[in-house]
Amino acid sequence: MTGERTFQKFKRLIPKKAFLLWLDSLKKDYKLIGPVKIGNHTVFKEVNSSRELFMEYETTMLSPGKLFLYRPNEELFRFTFNETSNPPSPPFSEGGMGRFSSKKITVDEIKPDMAKQVIVGVHPCDVNAILYLDRTFLRTFKDPHYEARRKNTLIISLNCEHVSENCFCSSVGTGPFLHAAGGYDMLLTDFENEYLVEIKSREAEELFELKGRGAGQDEMRFKAEKEKSVKGKFKKTINVSGLDNIFAENVDHPVWQQTAGDKCLSCANCVMVCPMCFCYDLRDEMSMDLKTVTRYRCFDACQDIRFAEVHGGNFRQRRAARLRQFVTHKLDQTNQYGVSATVGCGRCITWCPTGIDLTEITKEIQRYEPA
Amino acid sequence: MNPLRPLTARIEDIKTEAEGVKTYTLSTEFPFVAEPGQFNMIGYPGVGEAPISLSAIMQGGSFKHTIKSVGRVTDFLKDFRKSDDLFFRGPYGRGWPVKKAEKKDVLIIAGGVGLAPLRPVIQIVLNQRESFGDVSLIYGARNEKNMLFMDEFNEWAEKIAVYLTVDEAVQPDRWKHHVGLVTDLIDRVKIKPERAIAFVCGPELMMRFICRGLIMHGMSQSSLYVSLERRMKCGIAQCGHCQHSGLFVCKDGPVFSYKEVRGLPDGVL
Repeated sequence: MTGERTFQKFKRLIPKKAFLLWLDSLKKDYKLIGPVKIGNHTVFKEVNSSRELFMEYETTMLSPGKLFLYRPNEELFRFTFNETSNPPSPPFSEGGMGRFSSKKITVDEIKPDMAKQVIVGVHPCDVNAILYLDRTFLRTFKDPHYEARRKNTLIISLNCEHVSENCFCSSVGTGPFLHAAGGYDMLLTDFENEYLVEIKSREAEELFELKGRGAGQDEMRFKAEKEKSVKGKFKKTINVSGLDNIFAENVDHPVWQQTAGDKCLSCANCVMVCPMCFCYDLRDEMSMDLKTVTRYRCFDACQDIRFAEVHGGNFRQRRAARLRQFVTHKLDQTNQYGVSATVGCGRCITWCPTGIDLTEITKEIQRYEPA
Repeated sequence: MNPLRPLTARIEDIKTEAEGVKTYTLSTEFPFVAEPGQFNMIGYPGVGEAPISLSAIMQGGSFKHTIKSVGRVTDFLKDFRKSDDLFFRGPYGRGWPVKKAEKKDVLIIAGGVGLAPLRPVIQIVLNQRESFGDVSLIYGARNEKNMLFMDEFNEWAEKIAVYLTVDEAVQPDRWKHHVGLVTDLIDRVKIKPERAIAFVCGPELMMRFICRGLIMHGMSQSSLYVSLERRMKCGIAQCGHCQHSGLFVCKDGPVFSYKEVRGLPDGVL
């Protein structure tokens, strides 16, 4: 295979209409998920036809990764108490509750959902956020539900044309165009009536039969110019160099107490809309007939006052400490996974009811630090 | 298999150790091996799970947990009886660096139920006494009624130095040991900083003062080890509850060298 032919094989220009028709053709094997305009907002949801898609969207409240890969609610186990075993019932400390013999409790593991799905129109920030979630759920301990969905999901990314007022991905290297080496399947760039389609995985290579015309040096140059022009539109920026040390040395900076005291409501909106916040709670729910217990996983937030509570104390009793935990986890803890935990999507700023802005907090702290 | 899937363990024996504290000897049909200082998530369907350290080295396939009833899960467990089954998963985390302690003088310092995660270390020392230098246990509790493993101290004292203290004795005339803080007893041990290693477990504030006291005796931060208690839901570095500055206490700990965790934001070390 010569270099030029390889080039053309993996980078093609496809008329938008043809591309959308190809998406529809996938529907026989895949659920089709993409951005849909509802009122003034865009949401990622399953669609019946590519005609419902709104590919020109700016941003969504919830990221596709935390809706369709890591789910807000996930049933994990079902425990069934049979006739002769006593289910636990409150008050737990009264005693004399009979015998607990788990010989008589059946544990059923909920099987992962193996349905194939394709998510189209995922912005570069959200693709990077998925690559981050992979670090939590696909390392030493693999989560079978996340793993199954990740394997059965085709991710088609779309480079950004628009810059929203709170976007700062260009400052953290996650956008507006996608440069991640792998972990997704296809990358689209809007070329007016066509998409520049870049094939990034073997699965996409096998699935994508549209020939179009091969993209050469000129098209790639045009793409680079486009990227440069989009980059010029950013209003929000953050300087991430040296942040690890700056945050560690400013644990008691007045900005934490001030922001927590004046603005923060501990509502946890920031955590819920963050495409990378991975924290969860495990909850048991007893059926009304006391015969089964469902153990499920759901999103949890470090802004909740009980999040770091233990017997006899709470490591983050103060709201300022919880706010600092969120901001420093996003911006300072590259020692956790080797990358920072923000993709600069700006959702936590957009959806904060009192307008707390982590880039402003950072600037406040950096102001007193030698650059 | 889902790593969060709990397994059943049969309660072979229950022993009351102190007020509200019981040791459960558990057996399971699944292969189970653990290191000193590691923990299991212990629980029951409908009640939830809590992280509990192993309180003895493995013997004939059975393992032990010494549990104080203080919360939702542990309160529930206190009504269990012999031959009941409970649920567990594990073992998780990084335990005490016992290998590093070989040929060294070992200081084992505990407060309250903090002695439970250290008992496996004491048992290893007793079993292989010649592998270690001078070994001292310094143990403090609120009062005698809160002290764990009191019936074992005499046996331990034959092979290692045992120093005990209570904040206030319930029966002052019968209490023959020290009254006061655990830190008071550090001065009684002759510490040779260059050949000493310390394993510390107890309330975080106690560990802070113990570690700072040992540093004043010339020990280095990296020769002090502490075991941290944090809220945990998963035990496998996913749920995020135990995070501190990028560390997952469940996976990177619960045992850390003092050097790694000193000055951790929101902790008191």
